[in-house]
Amino acid sequence: MPETKLMSEREATARFVDDGDSVYVGYTSVAYGLIHEIVRQRKTGLEAIGGSVGPQGTMLFMAGCADRVSSGYIAGALRPGPVQDMMDSGDLRYEDYSNQAIALMLMAGALGIPFIPTRSFLGSDYLKPEYQEHPGGHRGANKWATMESPFDGQPVVLLPALIPDVAVLHAQRADRFGNVQTWGHQGDARWAFWAAKKVIVSVEDIVEPEVIREDPGRTVVPGFRVAAVVHMPFGAHPSGFVGHYDFDYAFMAAEMGRIGRGKDEFEAFRAEWIDGVADRSEYIQRYLERFGQQALDRTRATAGPAPTPDVRYTYAPELPFRM
Amino acid sequence: MSEETETIPGADYTLAEMMCVVAARELPRSGVAMLGMGLPVLSGTLAKLAYDSDLRICTEVGAFDWQPWPEVPRAPIGIHDLILNHGSVMVTDMVDALGTLLMGGNADVGLLGAAQIDRFGNLNTLVMGDYRAPERRLGGTGGNTEIACLAKQVVSIMPQERRRFVDRVDFNTSPGYIDGPGARRRAGLQPQGPNRVVSTFGVFSFDTPDGGDTDSCEMVLEAVFPNLDPDVVQAETGWPLKVAETVREVEPPTNDELTLIRRLDPYHFYLTPGRY
Repeated sequence: MPETKLMSEREATARFVDDGDSVYVGYTSVAYGLIHEIVRQRKTGLEAIGGSVGPQGTMLFMAGCADRVSSGYIAGALRPGPVQDMMDSGDLRYEDYSNQAIALMLMAGALGIPFIPTRSFLGSDYLKPEYQEHPGGHRGANKWATMESPFDGQPVVLLPALIPDVAVLHAQRADRFGNVQTWGHQGDARWAFWAAKKVIVSVEDIVEPEVIREDPGRTVVPGFRVAAVVHMPFGAHPSGFVGHYDFDYAFMAAEMGRIGRGKDEFEAFRAEWIDGVADRSEYIQRYLERFGQQALDRTRATAGPAPTPDVRYTYAPELPFRM
Repeated sequence: MSEETETIPGADYTLAEMMCVVAARELPRSGVAMLGMGLPVLSGTLAKLAYDSDLRICTEVGAFDWQPWPEVPRAPIGIHDLILNHGSVMVTDMVDALGTLLMGGNADVGLLGAAQIDRFGNLNTLVMGDYRAPERRLGGTGGNTEIACLAKQVVSIMPQERRRFVDRVDFNTSPGYIDGPGARRRAGLQPQGPNRVVSTFGVFSFDTPDGGDTDSCEMVLEAVFPNLDPDVVQAETGWPLKVAETVREVEPPTNDELTLIRRLDPYHFYLTPGRY
């Protein structure tokens, strides 16, 4: 039997997230329970990677866990505030890519090829030579390159492969061996599962291995590529998660919105929602005490109109002829 | 100015509502549309519900051909709203959306917003001032760059303010006609750049009848909103604006369009005073 990968978020983070690691932090449905644990364990020197890095990035920057970011969108930099200040002062080094670029770079990392061409960015100011090694950056000449295609002479931009040291992701379900299944739109997560050296997945449900093997079309990564599985209902809260719960916009505005407003506001959030609880189940407990069951229930998915019929994968055991 | 709350005297709608309605009208009635972050999602949803539209709306998170059901409670909040998983013909990932669909040549039109636009329709989503010592950072481009580079047509939505309609964008994240005729082709892009811009004052086309290789490729004022003096458009534009020989007046929004756009934004996520 393969070894079980099932463990707590504390153990998974302690064992598989090292100071200085580059970390894929998710796009829109974020493994917030794992991000909180990284903050709780005071990891440092991390690089945050994702097509668009939302409040999970802000959290890692404000906590001093991450000092580099590679992304197409840094939500914390949208308005004046501490994240912009950190970028100006050099405390946070950044490389601006795009959603397509990060997705393709993860794909290249997963495929084991050194770079991948794109026809995006052509004609834009991103490619101006004076911006390649900009004072706020951390990749220098390795950010990207341009060339003419050897086959048709057309210009292309070469994006380097991204191989994050670790990826933290949330999924609908997995078995104890780390075979992970997801459904719904994937953002850039699909290739992060395959690009990262170490994959930590939190899941809404742990299922028996037979459930996975009976419906393998939903599997996005097999267990042999996964370092740790953490059973974590509401692990993506306050982001939404397909088939389980919607974004908790009220919490995002009133509570998580504080993290980008300044050090004091961030520390208040950290004290209450990260350091003040031991793990995600205590976090949910605190949420229920503060806002009540109905606040959580309001976000839950309700049944859609037409359930998908079962897909059958088995056939008659014997063929009615001989070769 | 704060056009988002401003109304035309006697009108029962705001200029921002009008902008979103007119952007929806400017979208083609068929083909594949990639909706960018922000107001494009609201306008794209309105286009599906208000008109008998065969347009296939997609977002970069990997939701393709989303059909909002008639009683849908809201336009998607952002390109990643989970309601896109209900009613799309395919949900997949970003390599498919921005690679296979967009770069593969399957997106007929992109609908985009940004912080700045210039006379050639270039957009800026990244930074105010010099990139190496910025006056102000913005969030970043998301998928805006590739949509501007790779969609076959582009419609932009941009509030008409002098600080947004600038002579030259501070940082060209998303190429329009770059610096004039032929520039896109020389950069390795298809020659056709942006087709339309819809602002809080009116509608613009681009002076390049053959689609990017000849004429000035500059923005041209084509139409203004009802009862609006075309001269105010120049006042809120940072370069000497080209104006069509005859400037049309846009039809005011219908009751249906107004009712829908208000119903689709119940939390004022899109049309909040002070932001777009």
